Amino acid sequence: MKHEEREVVIELKNAWKIFGEQADQAMQAVKSEGIGKAEVLDKYGAVVGIADCSFNVRRGEIFCIMGLSGSGKSTLVRHVNRLIEPTSGEIYLLGEDVMKLSTTALREMRAKRIGMVFQHMALLPHRSVRDNVAYPLEIRGESKSRRWDVSQHSLSLVGLDGFEDRFPRELSGGMQQRVGLARALASDPDVLLMDEPFSALDPLIRRQLQDQFMALSEQLHKTTLFITHDLDEAIRLGTRIAIMKDGRIVQIGTPEEIVTNPADDYVRDFVQNISKLKLVFAHTIQVPINEYKPQEGDDLSRSPRVSQDVDLDYLIDVAVKTNQPTVTTDDDGKDVGVVSKDRLLQGIRDGK
Amino acid sequence: MAEKETLSTVEILEEIPEVDISDSVRDFAGQNGDYYVREFKKIQSSQSGYCWTFNIASAAFGPLWATARGLWGLFWIFAVCEMVLLVMLGSGLWSDLGADKFERAERLQANYETMLERAATAREAGDEEGAQSFEKRSENLVRAREKALAEGAALQAGGTNLMIIAIVGLIILKVFEGCSANIAYERQYSRWRGDRTVRSDFNWAIGALGVAIVSFVYIVTLLRFTTSNPSELITDFPIGNQYYLAIASWIDYWFDLASSNFAFLFQGVSRGIRIILDGVETLLVGTPWPVVMAIIVIFAYRSAGARVAVFTAAALAYIAVLGYWEKSMATVALLGTASFLCVAIGIPLGVLFARNQRAFNFGRPVLDLMQTLPSFVYLIPIIAFFGTGKPPGILASMIFGLPPIVRLTTLGLRQVPKDVVEAARAFGATNTQILRNIEIPLATPSIMAGVNQTILMCLSMVVIAALIDAKGLGYDVLVALQYAAKGQGILAGVAILFCAIVIDRVIQGKFKDTEKGG
Amino acid sequence: MVEDTKPDVTKEIPKIDLSDSIREFADQNSDYYVECLTEIQATGEKVTPWNNAAMLFGPAWCAARGLWNMFWLFTVAELVALVQLGRGIWGDLGAEKMSEATQLRERAHELRLEAGVAGVTGDETAESSAEIATNLEKAADIAMMEAVAAAETWWIYLLAGIVLFVVLRYVLGRYANRLYELQYAAWRLNRNTPNGFNMQRLIYALALLAVLVPLTLYRFTVSNPAPWLTDVPIGNSYFTTSSNVLDSWFDRTAELGAGVFDGVTAGAQTVLDVMELFLVDAPWPVVAVFLVLIAWRVASIRVAIFTAASLTYIGFLGLWEASMVSIVLVGAAAFFCVIIGIPLGIWFSRSERAYAIARPVLDLMQTIPPFVYLIPIIAFFGTGRVPGILATIIFAMPPVVRLTALGLRQVPSNVVEAAVAFGATKWRILIGVELPLATPAIMTGVNQTILMSLSMVVIASLIGAKGLGQEVLTALQYVAKGQGILAGLAILFCAMMLDRIVQGRFQRQEDQ
Repeated sequence: MKHEEREVVIELKNAWKIFGEQADQAMQAVKSEGIGKAEVLDKYGAVVGIADCSFNVRRGEIFCIMGLSGSGKSTLVRHVNRLIEPTSGEIYLLGEDVMKLSTTALREMRAKRIGMVFQHMALLPHRSVRDNVAYPLEIRGESKSRRWDVSQHSLSLVGLDGFEDRFPRELSGGMQQRVGLARALASDPDVLLMDEPFSALDPLIRRQLQDQFMALSEQLHKTTLFITHDLDEAIRLGTRIAIMKDGRIVQIGTPEEIVTNPADDYVRDFVQNISKLKLVFAHTIQVPINEYKPQEGDDLSRSPRVSQDVDLDYLIDVAVKTNQPTVTTDDDGKDVGVVSKDRLLQGIRDGK
Repeated sequence: MAEKETLSTVEILEEIPEVDISDSVRDFAGQNGDYYVREFKKIQSSQSGYCWTFNIASAAFGPLWATARGLWGLFWIFAVCEMVLLVMLGSGLWSDLGADKFERAERLQANYETMLERAATAREAGDEEGAQSFEKRSENLVRAREKALAEGAALQAGGTNLMIIAIVGLIILKVFEGCSANIAYERQYSRWRGDRTVRSDFNWAIGALGVAIVSFVYIVTLLRFTTSNPSELITDFPIGNQYYLAIASWIDYWFDLASSNFAFLFQGVSRGIRIILDGVETLLVGTPWPVVMAIIVIFAYRSAGARVAVFTAAALAYIAVLGYWEKSMATVALLGTASFLCVAIGIPLGVLFARNQRAFNFGRPVLDLMQTLPSFVYLIPIIAFFGTGKPPGILASMIFGLPPIVRLTTLGLRQVPKDVVEAARAFGATNTQILRNIEIPLATPSIMAGVNQTILMCLSMVVIAALIDAKGLGYDVLVALQYAAKGQGILAGVAILFCAIVIDRVIQGKFKDTEKGG
Repeated sequence: MVEDTKPDVTKEIPKIDLSDSIREFADQNSDYYVECLTEIQATGEKVTPWNNAAMLFGPAWCAARGLWNMFWLFTVAELVALVQLGRGIWGDLGAEKMSEATQLRERAHELRLEAGVAGVTGDETAESSAEIATNLEKAADIAMMEAVAAAETWWIYLLAGIVLFVVLRYVLGRYANRLYELQYAAWRLNRNTPNGFNMQRLIYALALLAVLVPLTLYRFTVSNPAPWLTDVPIGNSYFTTSSNVLDSWFDRTAELGAGVFDGVTAGAQTVLDVMELFLVDAPWPVVAVFLVLIAWRVASIRVAIFTAASLTYIGFLGLWEASMVSIVLVGAAAFFCVIIGIPLGIWFSRSERAYAIARPVLDLMQTIPPFVYLIPIIAFFGTGRVPGILATIIFAMPPVVRLTALGLRQVPSNVVEAAVAFGATKWRILIGVELPLATPAIMTGVNQTILMSLSMVVIASLIGAKGLGQEVLTALQYVAKGQGILAGLAILFCAMMLDRIVQGRFQRQEDQ
């Protein structure tokens, strides 16, 4: 099943968040007069945190929101479970209008439907690892034996068997964050909100946790909203990526779309140094076979044949073994395009 | 859609394997492990964490079970409750609650008989009137006796009631002990999982200790409260105050010896303080009051702004109108001298303590002692050595006020970022330069906070120093306290309060200035 | 090569021209100050040019140039100098001695007359009167001589005054420019620093000097200054009236609110009685065993040994009962402080507005000397243990309120946020997350409260709360050093005992 066909789990429509005492007036002015960020600060002493953000996340997707610090991504993720109230806009979670939920219903929703992982772990230092993981269940009023069973299971999912009777401070940062992940999984939520979960960790451990998270994700198919400031991470993990700047979403798309077709200079700057080898595929850079102008010494019949869906990494492997341009084929094995070495080099550099 | 969600949730959850705690509980409980495995499982699978379990051992032995199992919190509750109930039971059972009344009744009976005898002799003597009056009295006595008997009986009956209440209470307590035991023990188990040093299994040694303590406490308490004349050994510490007097006079002797041998030293200190105090007093009391008032108000304005200045003016007006001017200024002079000396001694000391770890280790307990010791206690040696009057008052205030400034100077200097000092050293600064250009400026907020605290502590002590004849506003409050003269006391108290607030505001204003500047 | 380039680099550095900025700062007479300040800066603050204006006008110059600290310093110092000068010139230095001599002479004269009369009538007192009169005359002569000598010392005062004045002005002239340079540096950082030459400031300063100097000179140089100057010219009529008004007001309020006050008293009394039953009425061996056992369980074996030693000291000196009464007092006060203080602290950590209102009150409770609120407490609650406890509560409650509020505010917001994100209710967050994390701070507050309660033990005994405080107070009144110190040490031991036990509890929690 393709992602586009699955049901929408999280949906934000025109969400705005303005911080400040005169937030409401500022909001009205923004809507009626369309004043900008600087003017809002000037006139109302208010700061625009989120400006007109809309997106939706489908079941099973890992939706990454990428932006530099201060771009409003952490604020945005907190709108989904209303840890922060939007100034205006609509939020739907599993088809329910989150804004219309009563306090109790909202708490219920948070306890049963949403798991959240935080940048600085936010574990309870005075409770054992087991009690930390079981905390969401405890809030739901589950019995102790149930809590113990579930937390044990959840800890084994993240590979922390045998650590359940330790205290968080006895664990390393990476292990603590795995406890955080286990805690989010313990209530078996439909939605995982992950607020820069790995950014406080050192690169090696970050990599490990990313791998572990991807494996888990494959296994559990949780709908995930993943916040990060690291584009590499977003590209590694994300089914789709939204790029934020100054509270606005600049571009939403699959990793390949973002890399090959950046919406503006800001995004282009970002993706420039990203390795395209695994993101760009032959069909993006190939020259259609009928438009191809053979160079001297070319003999397409001697060229190697590859599917047009292989990535650049694979193309390089193929190209180094021959002095001919590579020919790409479609699913039926018919020749559709040509990738010359020049074209390949250009593709590696620019992504197209 | 919602239904589908729940379905999938249930499916995943059902896969979860059960955690088996049996071995670990057995390990935890030691004796009688299987029983606890069963009970703990029951408790853990209950939704609320509370369920009906009854521990017979705990119900039977109460506090002893709790000590043996290492549940000290429960031990205290059980022991105290049981003791109270046992005392009630004991007084119901053994003690003679009506004893006093019965005794009285017997005395009355004896009196009655003598009265009757007297009446008879009077009648024999032919004194009919006298005989009648004696008979009347004897009738009164009979009535009184009956009343006393009735009261005695009521008290005895009350004793039975007490006994019944105690028994009912004991039964309830036992049920409670039985019910709460396993739940508390399960909590202990959960704690033990995270921290293996938590006391767990049944321990004979601790159990024996518990038995010894509990039986000793029960017996002594029962003896004390149930017998009507308990032995003095129990009610009072068996040592009178002969040691107290002996040691006290011995201390007296040494104090006298010291004060006469080192009189020159104490007098020198006294005189030194006196000189500073005289200077300050001339400035504050001697200078014409309009001048002093103007200077104070302007100073308040300069350092803390117009609002504080207005308040200061009002406070000074209050003080002047009620005729407290001279006393207030005398108090402020005492305070000023004490705080000046505190600052003059305290900041260098603080610097020394920040630099020299050994000096700090030595000085810290002394500082702690200075602050913990109730101020009145060191008034005594001060009187012994320095007599009464203003200089001893200042000395006492200094002892009280010195710790904060020393402490906060040390703290401030220690909190100076290491890298900044390192940088200065890297550029070749000398120790003095580092102290003057880096450490002191960076520690200023902390030092100023110390100065502020010191001044306020000196103020509260200066008032108390009135007790050793240091005069000032405190003296007025003291006199008012002795004669319960509320109005005067309040007026003087408010004057002190105003002094305190003005000083506090002005310093805080100044403090904020330095903070902004630095 | 490095040596080669070094001088070059220095030479190449262009000089900063501060003239304009200094001109802007100094305003009047700016060229002079440009020169001075540049020279100070150029010589590395080693050479300071002389400032004539500062020397001539002294404090007035300081004020006009906005150096207020210097203005005050030099005004006071010059006043002292001028007072000496004035005393030298106008002051009647021997006046005091002279009047003493006159008085003595008069008294002697009287006695002589009496002696004369007595001599005529043949009274025996005549001789002794005459003798006393002679002595008095001698004393008068001495006083007279001293007066003359004192009057002759006028030149010392004059000289001292002049020397001090000259020295002050020299110092000002010498260092004025250096100070002004510092002010300039400060002004560069903060343009609100006073700068320029300001007429308003000058007038203000001159007006002040015009009032201060004559008044002070008059007060100190004239031997009998007008009484309105030495004393505030208001009798004690206001004092009497207002104290009477207050008295009657207190009596009325005490009557009206008798129900409330009695209720509070009864409530506190109940707690006291219960605690007393356990500590004072219970047999001492039981109490001792309990205290040692609690110390051992709650803190450690060392604390238990210390507790046992303290209790032995107290017992041997026969201070057992007094100590237990004090501990009951402290315990009850601390109990109330905690019961009232922790909920208040929780409330203040939640409501910014409540805290803003309460903070000055808390400050005040800690700032005002306890003596002050003893009076209203006596007025409303009478004397005895309960008022003593109330005074102790007022004194000792702020730390626990403050530290509870602080502890709760310092709970990491991300942990609370996580609990919210998992759907915890406010109550659950408070009980399960915030209070456990704030426990160290709260325990510190409780600890401080206990120690402060103990330091109030003596003051509370001023209003009739028995115990060790009473012993110390009595010792103080009769200067019974030994007894006072022994009782004081007993207070100290009680304090340390309670402190160690509570701290021990807290440290064990830390260790976990």
